[in-house]
Amino acid sequence: MSLVPPPFDPELAAALELIKDVISPGLTLDQIDEIRQGPGIALLAELDLTLDGFFEVEDRKVPGPEGAPEISLLICRPTAPPASGPRPIVYHVHGGGMVIGNNRVGVDVPLAWAKEVDAVVVSVEYRLAPEHPHPAPVEDVYAGLVWTAEHAAELDADPERIVIAGASAGGGLSAALALLTRDRKGPQVIGQVLMCPMLDDRNDTPSAQQMAGVGVWDRTANETGWTALLGEARGGPDVPAYAAPARAEDLSGLPPAFLDVGSAETFRDEVVAYASRIWQAGGVAELHVWPGGFHGFDGFAPQAALSQGARAAQLRWLRRLLGS
Amino acid sequence: MKELAGRLTALDPDAGAAVQVIAYFDRLAESRAGLEALVRGAAVLAGVPARLVDGERRVQVRVEADGTRRDSGSPPDPAWPSAALSPDGVPALWLERAGAEPSVVDAVILERAAGAVRRVLDRTRGRAPADDPALVETLLDATAPESARLHAARRLGLDPAARARALAPADGPPQVVPERTADEPPAGRVGAEPNVPLAGKAGAGTVIPPTGKFGAGPAAPPTRKAAAGPGVPLAGKAGAGPSVPPAGRAGAGPTIPLAGRVGVGPAVPVLRLPESWDAARVALRFASEEPGRRVVHAEELGSLALLADLVAPGAEPPADVLALEAAAATAPWLLATLDAVASTTSLRAAATEINVHHSTLQDRLTHAEHLLGWPVRTPQGRFRLQLALTLRHLTRP
Repeated sequence: MSLVPPPFDPELAAALELIKDVISPGLTLDQIDEIRQGPGIALLAELDLTLDGFFEVEDRKVPGPEGAPEISLLICRPTAPPASGPRPIVYHVHGGGMVIGNNRVGVDVPLAWAKEVDAVVVSVEYRLAPEHPHPAPVEDVYAGLVWTAEHAAELDADPERIVIAGASAGGGLSAALALLTRDRKGPQVIGQVLMCPMLDDRNDTPSAQQMAGVGVWDRTANETGWTALLGEARGGPDVPAYAAPARAEDLSGLPPAFLDVGSAETFRDEVVAYASRIWQAGGVAELHVWPGGFHGFDGFAPQAALSQGARAAQLRWLRRLLGS
Repeated sequence: MKELAGRLTALDPDAGAAVQVIAYFDRLAESRAGLEALVRGAAVLAGVPARLVDGERRVQVRVEADGTRRDSGSPPDPAWPSAALSPDGVPALWLERAGAEPSVVDAVILERAAGAVRRVLDRTRGRAPADDPALVETLLDATAPESARLHAARRLGLDPAARARALAPADGPPQVVPERTADEPPAGRVGAEPNVPLAGKAGAGTVIPPTGKFGAGPAAPPTRKAAAGPGVPLAGKAGAGPSVPPAGRAGAGPTIPLAGRVGVGPAVPVLRLPESWDAARVALRFASEEPGRRVVHAEELGSLALLADLVAPGAEPPADVLALEAAAATAPWLLATLDAVASTTSLRAAATEINVHHSTLQDRLTHAEHLLGWPVRTPQGRFRLQLALTLRHLTRP
């Protein structure tokens, strides 16, 4: 195995030049606060969540897990009346390495889909590590899904047509959510969109080793995120699948999955392995490995040709899933 | 994690933006990005659509600020900020910013993008400078991989399936010229085929298109247009001096530099050009400063070429050469006279070549024979003279 990572796509390499001052490959526990206060999150809060008035936007406090505080759901509904019956729901889980972010972060991606397929977007706020280690984040995410399914009618939406979606840590939490709903016989989910998902706390794949100190979210950053979530248990024998879906023994009986990842990122090998294991378990999965993509490339450089291709592939899959 | 950084969106025109623009295009160029990526970079960084229009190379790329490729048939607005691909060229890259105030960031984007675009076009659309010495060097290097030599041939505009010959000028870099084929169009086609480089363009260059394209055949003297170019091709030796060109070569030879000694290698498949080059360098040693004998074709040397191995450049000259040099030192006309005798078919022709009366020539030869110590008007003596003149060239350092 070569420790030399695949080269970045030319356009993405150039984009990385522009963001390298804002984002570094690594992240340590003592930098988490600094990044939470940094300009990135505030920048995202300026997004026009209505997409020029297409959506009406609401923040709703709903019950959290038993004995835990309420959670906040960002609910974006098309302002026009539904064309034909209740709308599908995209239930979105934001990213941020388990340690940062809020329910605005990355929601522009599911909003863009929802505009195309006439869906409702619900984006969940969850408690962050390290203050709130596992299982707080995934239980918040689960509680939000339960509320959404139970109150779908209020949103002119169909509880039988919920797609869960997330990028990075949000992708990992979405995969965990699919396992949870399967095992608890919770709300029916018809699909899971796992975008460059964070699945494996062991952090020891060849791609994790290749990307040490390179690109976005390198091996050090990954160790920081997982350690924040799991503490000393990270990488050990007792990590539950609901924390790190790669640990799941059984990947059968899951909703159809869409997975994508860049070839030049820490998560490449764990995402490819996860898709393979879904197929080996007789499941349905579509996997895209974008050559020369760094972690989150389509979010950082949405104009690049590779990013346009990745976004288009996501939307095509969603259209097929929803039969629209 | 990906949401942490700001988006790659239009740059603020504040300090540091220009540096980022430069870094962006440097990185694109480093990873050999294509035209669309470069135009997209300009559009994304400027926050307005960008378009590349190169009519000559039939390239048209338009990308919107969100990165979407969307070509347009409408002509660019002359008021938009624009840049040419070469210092004296017409505008080719445009930022579709209407009513724009001049902006430093726009200027840097255009300058950087245009430079990168030009290099991509040169690399991909066959605008390699015909005089690229590195390519010629590769083509003539027998130790270079075949793939590299074929690549160099294509870049130089040579058909890898056709034959070409190497030229070895005494002054100047090696050259490669295609062999003229029999089915080439007749004379008088100058400028008729836009894809054929004209003499003017090839003049500074090292690869010279076949003479036939320039109407330099014996039946049709070079046209005025061809003759006006700095790199006027000569049709074989026809225009190069009084010597008789070898049969079948008039008008069919490669184009040859106008001045100085030149060795011409045999026409060979492009992969065997290193051999043609070796032969051309041998031929060069036989070339003389005399107007008619400055160009020597390796194929015409025959067994004479063997002499090149016997006499090293700069070696001690044989006795006959020393005698020739000693005689030449006594009279300025002597060497030219002997050269004329050795290279023409009769004494009368020799007298004509050097513009003297026949009887004057006879007097001069009597004098010369006395100085040399051997007759030059007998077959054996004339051969000895030719050999001495040839060896004199070969001992040249």
